[in-house]
Amino acid sequence: MSRQFTAAALGLVLCGTCGLVLPRPSSASDARCTRCACRIRARLPRSEERTLAWLLAGMLLYIPANILPVMHTSGIRGGEDSTILGGVVSFWRAGSWDIAALIFIASVAVPVVKFLALGLLLWSVRQGHVSARSERAKLFRVVEFIGYWSMLDVVVVALTSSLLQFKTLGTAEPRIGIVFFCSVVVTTMLAALSFDPRLIWDAKVSNV
Amino acid sequence: MLLQANAAACCTVCDAVLARTRHPETDHVLALALAAGICLVIANVTPVLAIEFGGMHVEANIWTAVLSMQRGWFAGAALVLAVTTLWVPALQIAMLLWLLSFARAGRCAPGSRVILITLHRLRPWSMTEVFLLGALVAIVKLSNWVRVIPGEGIWALGGLTILLALLSRYDPRAWWGLALHTPL
Repeated sequence: MSRQFTAAALGLVLCGTCGLVLPRPSSASDARCTRCACRIRARLPRSEERTLAWLLAGMLLYIPANILPVMHTSGIRGGEDSTILGGVVSFWRAGSWDIAALIFIASVAVPVVKFLALGLLLWSVRQGHVSARSERAKLFRVVEFIGYWSMLDVVVVALTSSLLQFKTLGTAEPRIGIVFFCSVVVTTMLAALSFDPRLIWDAKVSNV
Repeated sequence: MLLQANAAACCTVCDAVLARTRHPETDHVLALALAAGICLVIANVTPVLAIEFGGMHVEANIWTAVLSMQRGWFAGAALVLAVTTLWVPALQIAMLLWLLSFARAGRCAPGSRVILITLHRLRPWSMTEVFLLGALVAIVKLSNWVRVIPGEGIWALGGLTILLALLSRYDPRAWWGLALHTPL
């Protein structure tokens, strides 16, 4: 492996807001960027704790988001509450396996992958692991990229309940599960935004 | 010799342009932002989809979707939906148009600092493409029971998704130099 020059080794620091490279300030407390005047921090403050807090909040909210119904449809056949997984199953049974797969990926797989990936990243950073750093950095970029697709079900429920308002055919209404689901998306996005991927590279390689 | 803002250095012999101070991509990005603004307006004033049943006709777009969840606890989800699919894209486009039209005239836009910081912070929260996919899923879902008609808005949303994806390739950080004439 070639010798890597890091900003920290060269006495430089990056402004997290505008991306200007500056000499590391002597007093770390209240230094500001010369271009955008935002506070300069070598690393996001208390990144590990904040990521863990948002992650745990998201995992807790994920339970009611899946147990509680997200939509109530009423019609001639009577009323029916549907959950996220119930919606996937009914699409699958109706023969729309592609839509079932899409909703399953966006609403079930994406949040679970985010929980696992962020949990793994936090654990490896805390343990000071030095293996597979590039792979872990890539994993974080994947988490950032897939982050907001879980909003899909919120959009579908909102559009369906704004359209199905027929007294004779049936009506659709949102149910409280969708609020939990929406908060899972927001908390996991905040968890990813709180995580500083540079922490992956901060662990010292012992035999150097 | 340093070039003034919005000027070009030409060869004294053959008159070819040697260097320009205007950011070469300004016109390009301005055109994309303008087109995105037009798509955003169309997507919000026309129906994205409509359903017909027994002579009745109901239309829906981002606004009706947000308003369907305005009561009680649902207001939280409605707020997130409104912010991510309406306010953030609208604000991003408006700020880009403001910034780049000044840059095109070779001037620094008032409020550049706040705008560039806000553009950077808003980046993860724009979810137009998710709304488009959600509308497509809703079309498939509802077509089991009723006649579903895609509206003009869905084409505008499609256009907006593509244009915002093209705009997101430009990192707002790169425009600090353009706006404030400071080194990158």
